[in-house]
Amino acid sequence: MCLAIPMQIESIEGFTARCQAKGVWRDVSLFMMQDALPAVGDFVMVHVGYAIQIVTAADARSSWELLDQILEEGGA
Amino acid sequence: MRDARAWLEKIHALDFDRTVKIMNVCGGHERSITHAGLRGALPKWVELVPGPGCPVCVCPEEDVFQAIQLALQDKVILVAYGDMLRVPVNVKKGEIRTLAEAQAAGADVRPIASPVEVKKLARENPDRPVVFFAAGFETTTAPVAAMLAEGMPDNLSVLLSGRLTWPAVAMLLDSGTPGFDALVAPGHVSTVMGPEEWTFVVDRHEIPAAVAGFGPESLLASFYSVLRQLKTGERLLDNCYREVAHPGGNPTARRLLGETLDIVDANWRGIGVIPGSGYALKPAYSRHDARLLFPDHGDADSNQPGRRRAGEMPPGCDCAQVVLGKIYPNQCRIYGRACTPRHPVGPCMVSDEGACRIWWAGGVRVAADA
Repeated sequence: MCLAIPMQIESIEGFTARCQAKGVWRDVSLFMMQDALPAVGDFVMVHVGYAIQIVTAADARSSWELLDQILEEGGA
Repeated sequence: MRDARAWLEKIHALDFDRTVKIMNVCGGHERSITHAGLRGALPKWVELVPGPGCPVCVCPEEDVFQAIQLALQDKVILVAYGDMLRVPVNVKKGEIRTLAEAQAAGADVRPIASPVEVKKLARENPDRPVVFFAAGFETTTAPVAAMLAEGMPDNLSVLLSGRLTWPAVAMLLDSGTPGFDALVAPGHVSTVMGPEEWTFVVDRHEIPAAVAGFGPESLLASFYSVLRQLKTGERLLDNCYREVAHPGGNPTARRLLGETLDIVDANWRGIGVIPGSGYALKPAYSRHDARLLFPDHGDADSNQPGRRRAGEMPPGCDCAQVVLGKIYPNQCRIYGRACTPRHPVGPCMVSDEGACRIWWAGGVRVAADA
């Protein structure tokens, strides 16, 4: 439940961002980012559909690698 | 992985002549530790203890029972995170024990992955009451606060079982027998609430602590930090997840939590009431509070008088001891025997964040003596 996944923002409409991670698209709420609104192109840490923090591209990539490893082992 | 190896070398070089127990309080941490095989790579004198890191595991049995009854008797659309669907309650043999069984019996139970889906579902079913059964720690409760603040459809209410992580750790420390020498603080709880929430561990109890992320490097960095602190006598709250867990946390999330929810004394399944450890909807949001809108089916005066073992863990199940880090999962009397992921008895074997489930997925099959 506390798993958070970094995603890249492709477009923003109101507080809803169309985000992508490794070929998967999701609508993500930016409602909890009002004090530091991200922009198109930014990477955000997404938890249960809500962005909770902006992260760098490098950090997003290393998180994806980690998730891939866990998924490969079939445990996620 | 070069960094991970470097951290391991530094840890091995510390060479303690006693056992050092490091507790984590996050199912995500425990999963990363188990999947990366960190226990096997660390020196024998380090023990990694999974602590209270599974919100599903500590969700009161009465709340799960209430959710099942809302779906069965009040005919609501009951929405919950998938993990909650297989958590069993204590009822007589043959009666419906889980939300999944309620669903199979015809109740409208729907698993979701995000509160965003809940609102959509409520809008699509304007003529039916929709109840969102929301268990979770701070990271998962903040989106509920956001949902309330943003405005909810009239037919949508919340059965909130939100919990704060740090009061459980404070309770362990105040007990005098915490069962750990150092703490790894949760990365995403700290991302939302701010790492400062954990300074009490260091300041009040002189226990070394470090916030960690979810990769082996960050976890090993946090282990090295707390072990080095134990060696040198220095004490600080270290942050090994600086890239995500910023000082002060997420100010919007904290503001929304403060505006919509009160902090209340709360029951943890099998553990009891921990002061100031739960979230409840503020009176301004009472029209969305499922606890006020529907009858309390667990109440002694209701149609379930004297339900046996209400609130407790199932018979034989040591989940509460596992959650508190008092025993390891495979020291439970029924781990791998009566209780497996296919036929879970206790919530720690149900949830992806439960230590028993994680250890089983990680291949731990041998039961150990308690």
